[in-house]
Amino acid sequence: MKPPFIARAKTIEESVLIERLSRRDPTALDYLYDHYSGALYSVVLRIVRKEEVAEECLQDVFIKIWDRMVSYDPSKGRLFTWMLNIARNQAIDKTRSKEMSQGRKTDDIDNLVNRIDRQESEETPTDAIGLKELLSKLPEDQQFVIDHLYLKGFTQSELAEESGIPLGTIKTRTRMAMIELRAILNVT
Amino acid sequence: MNIQEYIASGILESYALGEVTDAERASLEQALKQYPEVREELKKVEETLENIAFASAIRPRAEVKEKIMAKITSSSSKPEGRIIAMTPERPVWKYATAASIAIALISSVMAIQYRQLWKADSSELALIKSENQRMAEDYNTVNQKLDKIQGDLAVMENTSFTKVVMKGTANDTNALASVYWNASTQEVYLSIQQLKAISKENQFQLWAIVNGKPIDAGVFDLNFAGMLKMKSINGAAAFAITIEPRGGKDNPTLETMQVVGSVVSNPS
Repeated sequence: MKPPFIARAKTIEESVLIERLSRRDPTALDYLYDHYSGALYSVVLRIVRKEEVAEECLQDVFIKIWDRMVSYDPSKGRLFTWMLNIARNQAIDKTRSKEMSQGRKTDDIDNLVNRIDRQESEETPTDAIGLKELLSKLPEDQQFVIDHLYLKGFTQSELAEESGIPLGTIKTRTRMAMIELRAILNVT
Repeated sequence: MNIQEYIASGILESYALGEVTDAERASLEQALKQYPEVREELKKVEETLENIAFASAIRPRAEVKEKIMAKITSSSSKPEGRIIAMTPERPVWKYATAASIAIALISSVMAIQYRQLWKADSSELALIKSENQRMAEDYNTVNQKLDKIQGDLAVMENTSFTKVVMKGTANDTNALASVYWNASTQEVYLSIQQLKAISKENQFQLWAIVNGKPIDAGVFDLNFAGMLKMKSINGAAAFAITIEPRGGKDNPTLETMQVVGSVVSNPS
């Protein structure tokens, strides 16, 4: 079996990209968008569950990245983690605002994700593996945690509250799952 | 700080997901500066998260990018205004029209300003809400820790438990661990004072010596605080800990013994 591998073309060095973004070079944002919008959009969409709201949210995310680039500190984490946090927070804030007060967990995102996943699979080069397939390799209790944190957009504390599992257990399970996924995704 | 324990708590994953309190964030950023193994581990956690996100990427519609690029270019360049020449022979009603347009413009500007003030207020409210939630989270964590400590204390105070101190062997003279064993209910609790970290392939295994034979009392990693409940044991004369392949073995590998201690019956 060939090892799963996530294909991503990277041509600009991250430090160069960061420097260009802090100088507010629009072509750098263009590049950033082309490389990261798909990953960030999926995070946002899975939390807000409405395409229209997610698109608006993604715009806000990139404007925030653009405006706050100078405050990013590489010693405290990778660029993607920083952007991921902006995206998650923006999306979670959105679900808490008035316009989203209902329907968060009732909307059916699955159809949309299936449709887009299919359409993506034709365009995505090489052998990116789907998230569902990825998660199916985890033990059930870990699958549950990652599914809620990653696919359903729960925070760890929300999940603790809803499932009745202690927060500490959620955290260690997240860790165990990430260690498993690390092996599956070949992170060394 | 016990680095392995710290990492095993899942704090790095919570940090990468942006779900730590300010205090946790501060201590983690300190640890990042101080310990290369924490930096190394965080990098792996982040790469995994990144790979998951890329494995599940969904392409947004093309209009989204156009809107973003339009927004950032318009905010960095000044919008152009059109200048309309005024002619001196303009009749009075024209001035009145101009004045009413001006009033309309001014009031829309004010409306926009008020809306922005209102938006700032609601984002402050969201901030307060999220702080509130963090406090609740902290409170829960502390509560859970307290429950655990109270449980541990109950074992320690209970006179039907015999404390068995296990001292380090020649393998690790600094090692120290204790077992609390209840001879009548057969319950066994383990508490670690000092054991050296071992590789992921291996696990510690607790053994009880019953009638001169070693009996498996369970395997464990160093990822717990306080006491850990182990397998029930009847008639133990001594306890010992060895290092075994993950999952444990049926018979102890005596060369790897880390600590050992005999049961001294309660004076009560």
